[in-house]
Amino acid sequence: MNLRTCFLLSTVIAASVACTPAPTSPTDAGVADGNDGAVVDDVPPVDVQVPPPGPFQPTDPRLRRLTRAQYTNAIRDVFDETLIVPRSLEPDKRPEGSSSIGGTETTISQRGTEQYQDAAYDLAEQILRNPTRRARYVTCTAAGVRDDACAGTFLRTIGRKLWRRPVTDAELATLVAISGRAAEALMDFHRGLEFGLSALLQSPNFLFREEMGTVRGVERRYERYELASRLSFFLWNGPPDDALLDAAEMDQLQGDSLATQVDRMLQSPKLRRGLEAFVTDWLRLDELDFIARDATLFPSFGADFGPSAREEVLRTISWIVLEQNADFRDVLTTRESFVNRRLASIYGVTFPSRGAGPNQFERITYSPTQPRQGILGMAAFLALEAHPTSTSPTLRGKYVRELILCEAVPPPPVGVNTAIPEPNPNARTLRERLQVHQEVTTCRGCHRFLDNIGLGFENFDALGRFRREDNGAVIDPSGFIDTTPFADPSSMAQALRNHPGFPRCVVNRLYRHAWGFKEEEAQREEIERLSRSFAQDGFHLRGLLRTIALGEAFRRARAIEIPPLPPLPIPDGGAPDAQSDAGRDASATDAGATDANNTDSSADAGTEADR
Amino acid sequence: MKPLSRRTILRGTVGGLAVAIGLPWLEAMTGSTRRARADGSFPKRFGVWFFGNGVIPEQWTPAAEGSAWQPSSLMMPLSAIKEHLCVVTGTRVNTLNTTPHGSGPAGLFSGDSLSGSEFTQGSSFRAATFDQRIAEAVGGDTRFRSLETAVQPAQYGIAHAGPNMRLPIEPDPRRLFNRIFGEGFRAPGEMTMPDPRLSLRRSVLDAVAGQSRTLAARVGVEDRRRLDAHFTAVRAIEQQIARLESNPPNLASCRRPDMPPESIPDVMGRPDMRTKSRIMSELLAMAMACDASRVFFHMYSQPVNNTLFPSATSGHHQLTHDEGGAQPQVAMILRYIMEDFATFITTLSRVQEGDETLLDHTLVMLTTDCSFGRTHSVDEYPMIFAGGRSHGLRRNTHLRARGENASKVSLTLMQMMGLRVAEFGIGAGRVTEPLAGMTT
Repeated sequence: MNLRTCFLLSTVIAASVACTPAPTSPTDAGVADGNDGAVVDDVPPVDVQVPPPGPFQPTDPRLRRLTRAQYTNAIRDVFDETLIVPRSLEPDKRPEGSSSIGGTETTISQRGTEQYQDAAYDLAEQILRNPTRRARYVTCTAAGVRDDACAGTFLRTIGRKLWRRPVTDAELATLVAISGRAAEALMDFHRGLEFGLSALLQSPNFLFREEMGTVRGVERRYERYELASRLSFFLWNGPPDDALLDAAEMDQLQGDSLATQVDRMLQSPKLRRGLEAFVTDWLRLDELDFIARDATLFPSFGADFGPSAREEVLRTISWIVLEQNADFRDVLTTRESFVNRRLASIYGVTFPSRGAGPNQFERITYSPTQPRQGILGMAAFLALEAHPTSTSPTLRGKYVRELILCEAVPPPPVGVNTAIPEPNPNARTLRERLQVHQEVTTCRGCHRFLDNIGLGFENFDALGRFRREDNGAVIDPSGFIDTTPFADPSSMAQALRNHPGFPRCVVNRLYRHAWGFKEEEAQREEIERLSRSFAQDGFHLRGLLRTIALGEAFRRARAIEIPPLPPLPIPDGGAPDAQSDAGRDASATDAGATDANNTDSSADAGTEADR
Repeated sequence: MKPLSRRTILRGTVGGLAVAIGLPWLEAMTGSTRRARADGSFPKRFGVWFFGNGVIPEQWTPAAEGSAWQPSSLMMPLSAIKEHLCVVTGTRVNTLNTTPHGSGPAGLFSGDSLSGSEFTQGSSFRAATFDQRIAEAVGGDTRFRSLETAVQPAQYGIAHAGPNMRLPIEPDPRRLFNRIFGEGFRAPGEMTMPDPRLSLRRSVLDAVAGQSRTLAARVGVEDRRRLDAHFTAVRAIEQQIARLESNPPNLASCRRPDMPPESIPDVMGRPDMRTKSRIMSELLAMAMACDASRVFFHMYSQPVNNTLFPSATSGHHQLTHDEGGAQPQVAMILRYIMEDFATFITTLSRVQEGDETLLDHTLVMLTTDCSFGRTHSVDEYPMIFAGGRSHGLRRNTHLRARGENASKVSLTLMQMMGLRVAEFGIGAGRVTEPLAGMTT
């Protein structure tokens, strides 16, 4: 067993029973009859000896593209909340369920470039054509159609906020020239400025977070402006504010003054936004926008169902973490929740306020005799992991295994017959119909692993409504997690809360969220440190955020090679494999472009030390 | 004459020099391909029409081969367009089949296995999909290199412009309309004054491209690849704006379609796939007819979609797994999808281009994410080709290619679009020869 495997098992605490990946063949030829020999049976308990971790080794510094939410937050933070931020932007990517990891991998496609361009002009118009906003952000009075000094003042101030670092003189000169030329062509100073602002917004310096670190000995370290961005996107899911940028400028992001800044950030209302970004990724709440339900079976389903269900989870977790400062594990067992009228009708609870709109949420408290508790008793999870007309114990079990306990579940083997019997006198409930998956050797390894958890939620239908019967037969909501039996959803929630895998899983997902990388063995030390600290601190998430933000590891990056940039390739005059010759720039001018860039680069080099 | 470089001019403008903005230099720059094609020929187009969740192979494969073929029971809705079709059966995706609904498209379109374990927003392809390689070759002449569209509101597409570069898709007819036929679009004969803002926008893009290069000098090799993609994209948008400034092509069939409704209401609480598919078909047909783009990837429904089709008792994906026997409901859904595909093909065939039709000049590939939806098999991969008379597609035939590597089909299609490529795929997905029998 190599170290990597060891480590993966170590993250799967108490993986005494697991379904192992089905062997795969290059093709599924010959297995279509369902007899592929990939027998996945009960796996005997594994006694994993995990060696102590080696010293933490940092990952490569990477550009991180803003997520859609970060783009929106940046605009609202730099300008104001009332701006309408276009929503048609390059989509996020969520490898391992993390848009943060996605941000270190994604680029900007042609369509995305087009969308960012449209958004930039739309925003520039909203900002510079509205008299109130214009007066707020353009503080000088232009001396004429073209006033480079006034344009420069605006672009330098806004540019520092949008690019999260000072705009260099060379960069500013380009932006001012664009604005001036546009002002002359359109005979209007502010119309011209729209083009300069739009250039700031379309720039890779805005759309990507440049966190490359500064060489310090054998490593790189995130310092000053880069550390400011790292902190603010981690804790606030948005850009640094002026105070943080000022601290970066004065090189105060270290020692006690760093702690002061982090503590200030942890008390800011923006922390809720950061928490929600993590929770949305972790619990896959973004997918709630895409669920569909049969309207005849579920008349209480509507377009606002998904957003309402998501809001309930976000509000409840924010309440526990930010208002109550309670043990984070309570998110699985809390009897408090926040519902609007739509959710109240689905849950069959009385909505406190009369005449409330769909955006009005009220805190409710379930009595101990009610079956609903924690985030796994909420419509978000129950509906997300269900089909348009029926529940899915398998999907629900998979969600618990993967997202609550961070256990790996392989995809089903290829070439198996997945049909289940229609309801019949011998098998009325879904539990009885799914029994076949617990018996066939090919299926039972994983289905016991998943379904014995998922069947515990059968009292909740595909929308999350409570029910006692399925096809006229009384539902049996009992099951077991590994070797721990439970009688109903409440006792399951309690068992999951006390499962050692749960807090470790939260730490693991938060690590990925903060760093933008999937952990490897070389980073295990930090994860173990965070896990110990989380437990010793009574599982307070705000404390864990602080431990991460102030940790040495958060500031360290691997020393990577940054070779000189090769010149742009010179096309050979025609597309070798194409019918057409369009789409290629003529070669003669690229040398000129390189010259211009070199000028920029040297200007930047002069300020590199300031960063 | 060597085309005039746009770069030369833009460099002057960025420096703040007053440069006369006008059309003549643009025409010199864009060359002749965009204007009336002197020989009266029409561009060759290529598109994918994709649906999720596979088929039922036993009911899919036609009994007879060659020109004696008759549509199978699942293909009955295609009877009226039979003469335009080339049904290819028997090929298989040879790359690893590890990920249900994801491994098939990855192997077929990129020639490599999927990276990532689950085909969701997380996983992506290790190489560009072949439709994008075609777009790279032939898309430079048009405003949009390619169009990625959908009927079912999809979370993720299949087309990749490169490794990890999954392209966003447009499932909203109104937004697609605005993008192609909205601001800046001019139908033949409509002359408006060129908008001075267009050239200003290009000067902004030129600065953005410069920033991308400058940033690239400060980052590692992996990030440079990402910024290079961005740089290339910015350059392409500059070119797209240049197209807007030039005269529209002289394609007689081009007209501005009716503006689609803002939203398409559900019918009995279920999505109205039929109406939306019809509208998207018309928009795509006109986008081709106006030469706004020559390549499309149209995703009727996405892999693993659980769409509630009319009179089905469960979602599509769930039925493919849970329904027993001959799966009559799944078959009903597949015939419904084929009806919509037939409508799409008919829409293309109604656009006259010279003595032929838009369909004759468009090679359409219908395919899905696996062979048998129930088992996720990728053997006997379902594919139908339509149109493509000018590409030399052998039509009104059933080509049985038992055991052939599906990558051969991908290679054949690239070659039919004029690409000079001799191989496609990696490892088990690699082929060095086309599939025999697809062309006349």
